[in-house]
Amino acid sequence: MSSVREEGGLKAEPKERLDPRAKALWRIVGSFWALFLLALGSAGTVVLTLAGAPVYVGLLPVLGALALGVLIVGVIPAVLWRRWRYEVRETEIDLQRGLLKVRRTLVPMARVQHVDTQHGPLQRALGLSTVIFYTAAGPNQIPQLAAPVAAAVRDRIAELTKTQDEL
Amino acid sequence: MSSEPREFLERPEAFGKPTAEREPPLLDRHLHPVGMLLDALGTIRQWIGIAAFPSLAALFGGGLRPGTLVLIGFFAVLLVVGAAVWGVLSWRATTYSVAGDTFTLRRGVVQKSERSLRLERIQSVDTVQGVIQRLFGVVELRIETAGGGSEPDVRLPALSRETAEALRERLTRVHRETGGGEEPEREVLRTLGVRELLVAGATSGQVGVAASLLAGATQFVQQVLPETLAARLFEAILPRDAGTAVLYVAALLVFAWLLAIGGTFLAYYGFTLSRSGDHLHIRRGLLNRYEATIPLARIQAIRVVEGVLRQPFGLAYLRVDSAGYGAEEGTSTTLYPLLPVKEVPGLLEAAAPEFAAPVQEVGPVPRRALRRYLIRAVVPVLLLAAPLSYFFYPWGMLALLLVLPAAVLGWLRFRAAGWNYASERLTVRFRNLARTTVVVPRRRLQSRTVSQTPFQRRLHLASLEVQVASGSTGAGFSVLDMDADDALKLLARL
Repeated sequence: MSSVREEGGLKAEPKERLDPRAKALWRIVGSFWALFLLALGSAGTVVLTLAGAPVYVGLLPVLGALALGVLIVGVIPAVLWRRWRYEVRETEIDLQRGLLKVRRTLVPMARVQHVDTQHGPLQRALGLSTVIFYTAAGPNQIPQLAAPVAAAVRDRIAELTKTQDEL
Repeated sequence: MSSEPREFLERPEAFGKPTAEREPPLLDRHLHPVGMLLDALGTIRQWIGIAAFPSLAALFGGGLRPGTLVLIGFFAVLLVVGAAVWGVLSWRATTYSVAGDTFTLRRGVVQKSERSLRLERIQSVDTVQGVIQRLFGVVELRIETAGGGSEPDVRLPALSRETAEALRERLTRVHRETGGGEEPEREVLRTLGVRELLVAGATSGQVGVAASLLAGATQFVQQVLPETLAARLFEAILPRDAGTAVLYVAALLVFAWLLAIGGTFLAYYGFTLSRSGDHLHIRRGLLNRYEATIPLARIQAIRVVEGVLRQPFGLAYLRVDSAGYGAEEGTSTTLYPLLPVKEVPGLLEAAAPEFAAPVQEVGPVPRRALRRYLIRAVVPVLLLAAPLSYFFYPWGMLALLLVLPAAVLGWLRFRAAGWNYASERLTVRFRNLARTTVVVPRRRLQSRTVSQTPFQRRLHLASLEVQVASGSTGAGFSVLDMDADDALKLLARL
């Protein structure tokens, strides 16, 4: 595959990574989900046990929820972070992301209409921020950058779209 | 709502451009009096929508007591009188003016509002005619402005034909003068005949939609009628044996089919596609007459859709995705309802040359992708059939019979899938049920994405998705499972 990448002029991978605190944020959000799943699983176990199911069947829901929880909190954030890369070049923005399915997106700078940064309460507590840029076909985002980095990326995209417009 | 200062209107000579000064301003014109009726009917419809369910429930729930009937009658009279009075008042309050280079609409009985548009911002002016408007020989004028969805269109629901034509001419003059010269003559590109129209209806594949509407109607009857009555009704019509049941289904399908034909006939009667300079014009409709203008510069993609019932006859219909100004017309609309596929390039050459790619020349996806297309189609059926087989054994196992058609569909999708990139135009072909070929010029692509799952990586395949602007959001088109090298090459080059 490497030969094609050179031939097509596509660099192997975008250079920049998200802020490492992204993993912490995803773990926190994930643990809420995990608790929710665990509650559901426990309820399932209680119902099954009361209905007189054998112990090994009755335990299935809670064990399943536990396994999912471990996956959501322990494994997925790290994989997501390792995969997420971006690069802002003069003519385009390059994004790569995905868990199992890897998605690589190129957005020409000339198509970017405007760009802003946003952060939720949890992001603010961790000092993170999301860059969102809009084309006529909808928004794309680079999530979980350190707030100053996000501001710099936003300003750079804004600057580059201005020069692209003048061309 | 922008609020231009009032003086702006009353002293146009101080602001007006030389071109506009030649003509006296139109000040505070009212709509055609039919506007009162339209407004009143609108109000009544709105209130009926709100009141229908409670009053029906009161009627049937409480039994048909005379008291209830009188009460409902009283409210009905009150509604009609109120709507009529309101219609007159709001007609009196609604005025439009054209002065200098500004169009102003004032409206509102209690809450006054005023909306001003600068003439050069006006993108298109179209006329529409609903049933009632046709009855009285008036038209609705729609003014669409350039720019985002934040600025909704202006609608003047009732104008006489002559007033509308004069106003249209006046509103678009600035545009034409700056755009250089007179509006070019409208050249009719293609008109849909009655025979084609019937074929379009018969092959529209909207039988499913109509059938589900019918099913919905039965549900409604069940909900609204008192239980005993509904039960008796159903007992009377429900089939008693399998033969009758089949007959019922067949009758239902035929009825739905006729509905679909009727619906298409009403909507697309007299479909005319014409072009004047860099604008396309669409005119259609039997009862509701509909007119639309699409600036060529706004067209983002053109889709050639070959429905399941149409492909065997070599027929297709054309859709266009255009960048939107908020309302529904901006999105994805029918460019032409039915024509032979081999005449598509010719029509596109005349209508929108930028999109006139040779539709047939699309390269296939690699042979090894077939497996993935089959899996993609069959797995959902298996996931559905497995629990059905288990819980409703043995009859649930009949669901497994669906695996075969699903596999055939997967194979057809594989056969349909393809792409081509030549002379700055990307052509993508895919099938859900209908086979769709999309043509997008490179400069209309908003973004492009290549994705690869672990399964695809093993087979050295990847999927390409491109995004174009369509309406206020966007639309995406995908080629699933193309060669990974090709996908990356395209990703870099597009």
